[in-house]
Amino acid sequence: MLEKSYTKEEWTGALKGLQESCRIYVPVKDGDDHFFRLFDGSKAPDFGYQNTRLSPKGIVYPQSERMFEYTLDESDPDANIYKEVGKEYSPRAIVGIRPCDAQAFGLVRRNFDTPEYRDPWWVKSYEATTLVGLGCNEPCATCFCTFVGGGPFSEKELDVLLYDLGERFAARALTEKGSRFLDKGPGGRPLDDDEKKALEERKRSAEKKITSHVPTDQLSKKVVTELFDAPFWEAVAFACINCGTCTFLCPTCWCFDIQDEVMGKEGERMRNWDSCMFPQFTLHGSGHNPREKKFQRVRQRFMHKLKYYVDKYGDGIQCSGCGRCVRSCPVNIDIRQVAQLMNSY
Amino acid sequence: MLKGLVEHVGIEPGRLHFSWISSAESTKFVEVAQEVAKAVKELGPAERLVKRRAEVG
Amino acid sequence: MEQFGEKIRERARELLETGKVEVFVGYRKGTVPMMNHPVLIRDPGKAEILHWDSHCGLNLCNYLTKRTEKIGVLANGCNSRNMVTHIIENQVKREQLYIVGIPCTGMIDHRAVARAVKGREILAVDEEGEAFTVRGRDFEETFRKKDFLQRNCAVCTHHNPVICDEMIGDPVEEPQGVQAYKDVETVEAMSAEKKWGFFTQLISKCVRCYACRNACPLCYCPTCFVDESRPQWVGKSVHETDTMTFHLLRAYHCAGRCTDCGACERVCPVGIPMRQFTKKLNKDAMEYFSWEPGLSLEERPPLDTYRPDDYNEFVR
Repeated sequence: MLEKSYTKEEWTGALKGLQESCRIYVPVKDGDDHFFRLFDGSKAPDFGYQNTRLSPKGIVYPQSERMFEYTLDESDPDANIYKEVGKEYSPRAIVGIRPCDAQAFGLVRRNFDTPEYRDPWWVKSYEATTLVGLGCNEPCATCFCTFVGGGPFSEKELDVLLYDLGERFAARALTEKGSRFLDKGPGGRPLDDDEKKALEERKRSAEKKITSHVPTDQLSKKVVTELFDAPFWEAVAFACINCGTCTFLCPTCWCFDIQDEVMGKEGERMRNWDSCMFPQFTLHGSGHNPREKKFQRVRQRFMHKLKYYVDKYGDGIQCSGCGRCVRSCPVNIDIRQVAQLMNSY
Repeated sequence: MLKGLVEHVGIEPGRLHFSWISSAESTKFVEVAQEVAKAVKELGPAERLVKRRAEVG
Repeated sequence: MEQFGEKIRERARELLETGKVEVFVGYRKGTVPMMNHPVLIRDPGKAEILHWDSHCGLNLCNYLTKRTEKIGVLANGCNSRNMVTHIIENQVKREQLYIVGIPCTGMIDHRAVARAVKGREILAVDEEGEAFTVRGRDFEETFRKKDFLQRNCAVCTHHNPVICDEMIGDPVEEPQGVQAYKDVETVEAMSAEKKWGFFTQLISKCVRCYACRNACPLCYCPTCFVDESRPQWVGKSVHETDTMTFHLLRAYHCAGRCTDCGACERVCPVGIPMRQFTKKLNKDAMEYFSWEPGLSLEERPPLDTYRPDDYNEFVR
């Protein structure tokens, strides 16, 4: 697979060149935090960042997405036709995505792309996206990717992996898509021997820097009903304020709510991110709410992430160890501690 | 206080009016209705805090 | 303020042991820097986990409602005013609460600290008196607390609890001559167009997580207006108008009730300074009704009662 080395300026130049045929998203500092924004020359990308506040799942799977529309206006040639909203699926790339966030797409794909059902919007959007990852030389204190089958230089789900070697970036294509991406961009030269040696060394040293300890090895062996009835849930849930911060920032959360909005003669059916933390999440049409109490909802979140997903897919927990929920939970409910509680119950 | 807040966020003064009119004050009602209509017409079509269609995603 | 920790643990233990309270609500030290975790303890033996420092910026009043037990709770100035508001709004009974008052010297703004160390990762923050030290992987810097107060704490005039059953420590002096509304006045001086630009920019990053609403002790409606669907008052998408409507109306629901505790700004994951909405209302409540919420258990709030001299210049 193609491998190229660039100076940092050359890399920005390569992105500028690629911009013509591909919508490029890069991490940009906006206020106090970083966000993925379209690379249009107005703001310089900041590849020295730790991670974005919001996960890049919003690029592939927008928070609010119109699905269908209709109009009853007879003067419109499409009157009375309920049609799909046209979407833009031209090629795009998320450049500088961290391996945890890329791995998360793989975890989420199990939900949106199954043998029985394929979510057409998610799948088309994902397939149009090239993931150009940036390995973490200095993992955050809240990261625990190595405990969930990932790592600061994990190649899962990535098309290209960038190594920050200080003055230069070393880019390694991992898929055909990645090779085509690197090939199209101007600049860069093949890696030299020192650079090739540095790659493995960076990976190993970064993995050693993960300080969180999140054991998940016993979760699959637990009896689900025993965990469900465990006595610690009330205490874990006490502080929760039932906002959507953890779910909206989490790259592996996928729930949404479908809604219709009608304005006069026009209407659309859209979907918005929803959160199992919200009290109305499980409100039935009958008025019954099986998760009326806060501790039931908090329990649901952790059981889903750390037990149901494990049992259903047999491939580890529904978490990529990015640490966003740990950093941003307004009341400091820490998934690392809950995982420990569940794992040792 | 509502008027204060609404105008604080930038809705033009003249969009929100308050009046206390009893059903016996028909002349006052006519006057106020005309004043409000005039004030709003002068401001032109409302562009702020308006939603026509979903315009998202 | 970390020096209060020992006394708090001692008092909580005693209150639980003697049965004066059945549960005690306080904070445990957080697992990430500058964060603490609200806890409820029943067992006097667990009192040792209680902690207090200048990162206790949430509002514990959120956890007092819909409980039947006798609750011991920590309260600084603003939190205690919210307890008064809860009492006069019948969300909790005075007899149910045993308030342990804390003379607060303000909470630290964690975003301001992150900015001061230029976004480098903070691994630990240690407080000592009026200074705190921030430690990262390869740096260590000490700052003065009063340069990093949360925006609401910087203009606070009620450091000491207004209602309590006992006090930990001596009351601190309340500052005089504080100009709390300079930022509101700056916006008031703008043209309508600039104001609209200012506020649309302010809420542009909102992801409708509702952390602000949920952290606010005043927001206790069983079904919030944004969650209603029959009729649907506000759209649930991130459309700019829907988001602005949410913030505008939520602030308005707090009119004459907000104690400027700052929990809303503290919990916002994307750092929106939404106190710009409520501060305007607090200023108006002061100007039009000479009203500061949460100071009296007897007086009804101005939006609750009619006084013949109520301001009505705006009504034709």
